[in-house]
Amino acid sequence: MKTYEIELNLNCESCKVEVTAQETLLEVLRKKLNATEVKNGCAKGDCGACAVILDGMAVNSCLTLALQADGKEVVTVKGIGTEEEPHPLQESFVEHGAVQCGFCTPGMLVTARSFLDRHPTSSREEIRQAISGNLCRCTGYKKIIDAIEKVAETKDK
Amino acid sequence: MKELNIIGKSIGRHDAKDKVLGMTKYADDFSMPGMLYGKALWSKYPAANILSINTSKAFALPGVKAVLTAKDVPNNEIVTRMGQTHKVKGIFSFEGLYRVLADKRVHFLGEAVALVAAETEEIAEEARDLIEVQYEPLPGVFNELEALKPEAFWVQEGTDNTVTHYYLTRGDVEKGFGESDVIVENAYHVPFVDTAYIEPESGVAWVDDNGVITIRVATQVIEHFRDVAEALGINHNRVRVIAPYIGGGFGGKEDVTVEIYLALLAQKTRRPVKMTWTREESILSHCKRHPFAMFYKTAAKKDGRLTALQVKLVANGGAYVTLTPWVLLYALADAAGPYRIPNVKAEGLGVLTNNTFASANRGFGGIQPCFAYESQMDELAKRLGMEPLEIRRINYIEKGETLSTTGQIIETHVALPQTAEKAWEAVGEKSSPCSANTKIGRGVASGMIGYGRLIVLHDTSRASVQVELDGSVVVRSGIQDIGGGQASSLCQIAAEVLGVPYEDVRIYFGDTAQTPLAGTTTATRQLYMSGNATLNAAKEVRKRLLTKAGEMMETGTEDLEIRDKKIFVKGSPGTSLSLAVVAKACASDGIPLSHEALFKGPFRDVTEFKTLEGKLFPDFTFGSIAAEVAVDEDTGKVEVLKLASCFDVGKAINRASVEGQMEGAAIYGMGYALSEEVMVENGYTLSPSLSEYLLPTSLDVPDVKTIILESGTGLGPFGAKGIGEPALCPVAPAIVNAIQDAVGVRIYELPATPERILMAMQRRNVQENKGGHFEVK
Amino acid sequence: MESNTEYLRAVNLQNALDMAERYRPGIFVAGCTNVIPNMRANAISPKFLIDLSRIDELAGIKEEDDEISIGAATTISKILESELIKKHASILWSAAGMLGNPLTRNRATVGGNLADASPAADTAPPLLALEATVHTAQPKGGGRSIPLDQFFVNPKETVLAVDELITRISFVKPKALSKGWHTKLGLRNAMAISVVSIALMLEMEGNICRKARIALGSLAPKPVRAYLTEKELEGKEITDEVLRQCANTADHEISPISDIRASAEYRRLVTATLLMRSIREAIKGEERGL
Repeated sequence: MKTYEIELNLNCESCKVEVTAQETLLEVLRKKLNATEVKNGCAKGDCGACAVILDGMAVNSCLTLALQADGKEVVTVKGIGTEEEPHPLQESFVEHGAVQCGFCTPGMLVTARSFLDRHPTSSREEIRQAISGNLCRCTGYKKIIDAIEKVAETKDK
Repeated sequence: MKELNIIGKSIGRHDAKDKVLGMTKYADDFSMPGMLYGKALWSKYPAANILSINTSKAFALPGVKAVLTAKDVPNNEIVTRMGQTHKVKGIFSFEGLYRVLADKRVHFLGEAVALVAAETEEIAEEARDLIEVQYEPLPGVFNELEALKPEAFWVQEGTDNTVTHYYLTRGDVEKGFGESDVIVENAYHVPFVDTAYIEPESGVAWVDDNGVITIRVATQVIEHFRDVAEALGINHNRVRVIAPYIGGGFGGKEDVTVEIYLALLAQKTRRPVKMTWTREESILSHCKRHPFAMFYKTAAKKDGRLTALQVKLVANGGAYVTLTPWVLLYALADAAGPYRIPNVKAEGLGVLTNNTFASANRGFGGIQPCFAYESQMDELAKRLGMEPLEIRRINYIEKGETLSTTGQIIETHVALPQTAEKAWEAVGEKSSPCSANTKIGRGVASGMIGYGRLIVLHDTSRASVQVELDGSVVVRSGIQDIGGGQASSLCQIAAEVLGVPYEDVRIYFGDTAQTPLAGTTTATRQLYMSGNATLNAAKEVRKRLLTKAGEMMETGTEDLEIRDKKIFVKGSPGTSLSLAVVAKACASDGIPLSHEALFKGPFRDVTEFKTLEGKLFPDFTFGSIAAEVAVDEDTGKVEVLKLASCFDVGKAINRASVEGQMEGAAIYGMGYALSEEVMVENGYTLSPSLSEYLLPTSLDVPDVKTIILESGTGLGPFGAKGIGEPALCPVAPAIVNAIQDAVGVRIYELPATPERILMAMQRRNVQENKGGHFEVK
Repeated sequence: MESNTEYLRAVNLQNALDMAERYRPGIFVAGCTNVIPNMRANAISPKFLIDLSRIDELAGIKEEDDEISIGAATTISKILESELIKKHASILWSAAGMLGNPLTRNRATVGGNLADASPAADTAPPLLALEATVHTAQPKGGGRSIPLDQFFVNPKETVLAVDELITRISFVKPKALSKGWHTKLGLRNAMAISVVSIALMLEMEGNICRKARIALGSLAPKPVRAYLTEKELEGKEITDEVLRQCANTADHEISPISDIRASAEYRRLVTATLLMRSIREAIKGEERGL
């Protein structure tokens, strides 16, 4: 079984890890880099729970080979904010009741953060479109969109 | 406590904070040193005899530590009461055969035949693929109506397929039909669907330092520790189950999933073992919602009053009984809906088929009949030239009246007329079609379902509340938190009663060793049962604190209040003692600062469960959904433009959580109405992943409007009712009624896919001599 | 998925071709949005993965004289962000916005979408209607230019040789007054495999159609051009009768199957009505698909 050493920047920390050719970024993040905040809902890109920001773009980590993240920046929900300094999106999600079981939440936040970075002011429809690759079974999406919209509006001011 | 400080507010839940920071450790996020990985080998056929199993090659693979089959399970077949303790008698009881691993036969495609534990997941998968099973395929039976026939293939050895048969009669239906002016008779069908939580089944088990098999698992029922113990042939006190925060349950994690497999592998290897199902394994092997074939004959007089209802319900239970008898019981009790019908004859049958077993799914036997009876109401309205709201208003039952099916007296307020009106109102002005090929339609539906368990099950919940010496509070409850804020709500209740900020309450939950058992997180029962247990426990501790404070301040306890961790005389906040000082004084005097309360639901004993009559549920939640849809006449595709949900929740404990339940239920129901179906053909799943099993995305859903009514008449704490399941039942019929309004066709079968709608329109056009749609060739 | 697969990262095109020649059997990968699910399902077990995703010369959208050229490794998101595509190839722009979901669009490539050769490939009908050409490269210089309507063979099968990779896809910019329309019918509004998709480009002179290019997806073993239907339109004034004729003719050019998403009968019905609707919408001058 051939392995390769890759180096990636995970939430501003440099990490070296040995991976195989077929291993996905999701598998490596969860099993080798202890980034269990990145969730596995389906392993084939149907649910968005595994979303991370890869060199500035939100992607399904389950559809990315770990080797393709070599030399790149990976940001997970833990890289978006911390307990001491939460990201406005994280605070907004809590305030708006946008978190129920929370399993889709890391992926949602990552997608929302990446979207707002590129489109600081956006309409509700654009937000709806931006998270259309992140499934939620609990909330019906409304409070999630409310939470993102609030931050988008705030950015506007 | 007249003025409430914390109850009723929309507080940010403390579990939400950890979840947004990515800190919450769900079942699969947890690992232990030396952990092995478990995999199950699933059946290759929906029905087959197992002629032989050869595990030698699998076992020989380096890194494999265990390969188990049925012969390795001490009690491979157990009769389980599904987490409940009370034994209910009757022709068909509430017990079911649970088989850990298939032995001589496989009964559905997702049945486990063998288990493997290995050093890595890859090795476990490889070993699993090396297990050789020789099968002799059997014909099998797949459709519920086929399974009923006397000549049908028997799914389980030695017993015919009918596992449940209830009937009830009130009044005289023939007379009722005779008296009527209009009769509407239709057959409806609803399919297998999946709970499709985003977190697949997962758990880790290990044998702890005291030889206790400990299982940390995504489950709604930690009480399954008893089933694990029985399967392993060990004492109940040798198994411990811990439920962390769960990534969605909806009834799908109510039955045993990975627990017994993990326990067996951990016991065998004496190492921790993790098992996490792939999405495909989840869809294949965990329970589905019961398909129902529903035959309805409803009659009414010209003035809209219902006179008679005859119903036959046939539920497809899949290959194992599990909760089929209970689902049927709910279905039959709910079959007439919240309407006054003097003459009712109803029959409910549950049959086995060679499909994945059907068991609990949010709405549990209440959602299926709701689709039928709310469609019937609209059809009757049409025939009588009445408005949908009008015919419902005339027939809604009221407090003090009886449920038309079982005769249970409705003891709490029935807000149905207001919920229908307000939901309808909230849909607002009719939208204009965005194109010439689009038709707009609106529909309404009302529903009811019990909250709290069937009272024949003698439901209880225990909770303990403790005040620390600094005035902070600890709650202990076996409650399982599946995302509805179950744990958080108990903290809110304790905070309110003990006058401490919500942030100062912590909860330990979901641990059979460390927290008093709260019962299942199912049946919309936790707020009611565990909420009351917590309320009572907190009240007792409050009483002791106030008594001590009264002594210390030389005043009567009735003059005292607690707020912000201070006990003070009402009206003079200057005279106060900190809660901490009083707590220390109690401790010093040997007065316990903690109390465990047991809350009992109503108990009923039925010696012979032949027909369903009388009180079966503690109470019901009533409400309505209104929908506006746009239907593309060329393709049959439906856009749901508006959804409004109005329910009487008794009392909203956490307002945002209640809204969240109603919004989430509306979309869960929208999926049921329009796109979700676990498609099976002769026992083979055709929709194995989330690419084929279609959940609504953010681009498919409207912003749901929620209107919360609070009658205060619920049996839960502060007059709360349950909302999780009730908010779901009327959604699908509201949408289907709206489709009817838009394009004049009724869909009798869910999901109402674009194809079903277009084909129905085609047939209608042909019948009405409008000519078929474009005729090709 | 235990395997001895090896990974090779190509730094430029020649490097990729050398690897393809040296390491066999290999497959070219870029976005991996189809490759990974296929590997996971054991549908494919490649020995070598040759990663093209970091080859700059394979990505990018260029305008050269009257041609637009899209690098094969250009992501769907980049196509969606391109003003050039939005202006000159709105039907492709429309299809890009309906492919998968925003996360997959950030990785999926147009080359991958075509090479995967699903009959439901989202970018295929618009590119067919734009009469696109697929340009390839092979080791030993055997690259060629293949008209897209000769590119697909069967579901999941193209004319590409095993060591042949797509370098770019090009098409002539439609004339200034061309009218296009794209529509995709899916069972939900995101992450939907199309049940039927239609893309068309029309050159109109008043109410007379001078040139028609119509492409259909999910209606045959591969995405197809509806040549006979195009002939029905060309040279004619577009009336209701002509539209009905088109729908009738189109029905003969498709061979839909019944699958879990829809029956063949339903697909035929909606193709007829959506085709007529699409032509009507295109003529109105609207530049966006449904």
